[in-house]
Amino acid sequence: MSHRQQNSPPRRTPAAVAARDRGRARLRAATVSAAAASLVAAWAVALNLPGAASSAASSVHHATSGTSGTSGTWGTSGTSGTRGTSGTSGTSGSGSSSGASSGLGSPNSAPTASPGGGQVTSGGS
Amino acid sequence: MSGITSSTALWYASRATGVVCLVLLSVVMVIGILVNQQGRLPGLPRFAVLGLHRNLSLLTVAFVVVHVLTAVADSFVSISLAAAVIPFASAYKPLWLGLGAVSLDLMAAVIVTSLLRRHIGRRSWRLVHWLAYASWPFAVLHSLGASTDLREGLFRDLAIACIAAVVAAVAWRAARARTSVPRARRIPELMVPGVQARRGVPGGRPPGQVQRVPGGDR
Repeated sequence: MSHRQQNSPPRRTPAAVAARDRGRARLRAATVSAAAASLVAAWAVALNLPGAASSAASSVHHATSGTSGTSGTWGTSGTSGTRGTSGTSGTSGSGSSSGASSGLGSPNSAPTASPGGGQVTSGGS
Repeated sequence: MSGITSSTALWYASRATGVVCLVLLSVVMVIGILVNQQGRLPGLPRFAVLGLHRNLSLLTVAFVVVHVLTAVADSFVSISLAAAVIPFASAYKPLWLGLGAVSLDLMAAVIVTSLLRRHIGRRSWRLVHWLAYASWPFAVLHSLGASTDLREGLFRDLAIACIAAVVAAVAWRAARARTSVPRARRIPELMVPGVQARRGVPGGRPPGQVQRVPGGDR
């Protein structure tokens, strides 16, 4: 009798079925929430990454804090520079970007001039 | 006012998804350890914790794919698709990108064997699944070495939190494994004495022997 009970499939009471359905619903909700949160987080991270902020303010900072250089170009001694966006950086600025702080550095990419006399801070790696 | 433009979107997408991948991978690791130790999360039954671990793993893979594809597609640095998969084949930062490729390959092995779990058997799957533990440190080293994003400010704190969470979870698991009874011994102890005897479990009564109840002779 007891042997027969052990081999028989477990009985699924309505309460157990309901609990399982609730668990599935919570799992689905948790997964969807996690996916949505990840997307929002990725967007927020992208906006807060070094270099993603106002490039003009960043460039002015570089222009004022950089060591004096010759003229016209940004220094290329940066360990990993920010990727340039557009020519909105300081007008008379010249200096070293050794303090550049951002993402993957370009492999010794030379900074490129942008229209309007602006400079781009793509530092070397 | 943002520095993100159409020409830099891929660059920022790659960096942002990289940060999110690290966080997701750390969460997956912690939940995986929790599941292994019969752990529960508030409001979720155990099977749902297991399902959450699986779903978050797949979500992590999706973000890793976006991370790799945006890095390859972006023209700022030259990273070939082969370099993203074959370790240390990249001309750009070969060591750090190579570690990322190793982590990606280990992750792929874990995912593929998990999908084929019914066909390869539990033992083989478990053996390969241990690679997940190796995948995470490679991913952390790749994150810290290939990019300076996680070396300062809020993102540095985030990286430290991820590392601390996983290290704490691993330490907790190791401590529990040392004190807990192995599953092979734990299950027979939970079984009824009669079943123990039938299956020849040491300590179980032989078949036919009647359990003596104290005071039953009277």
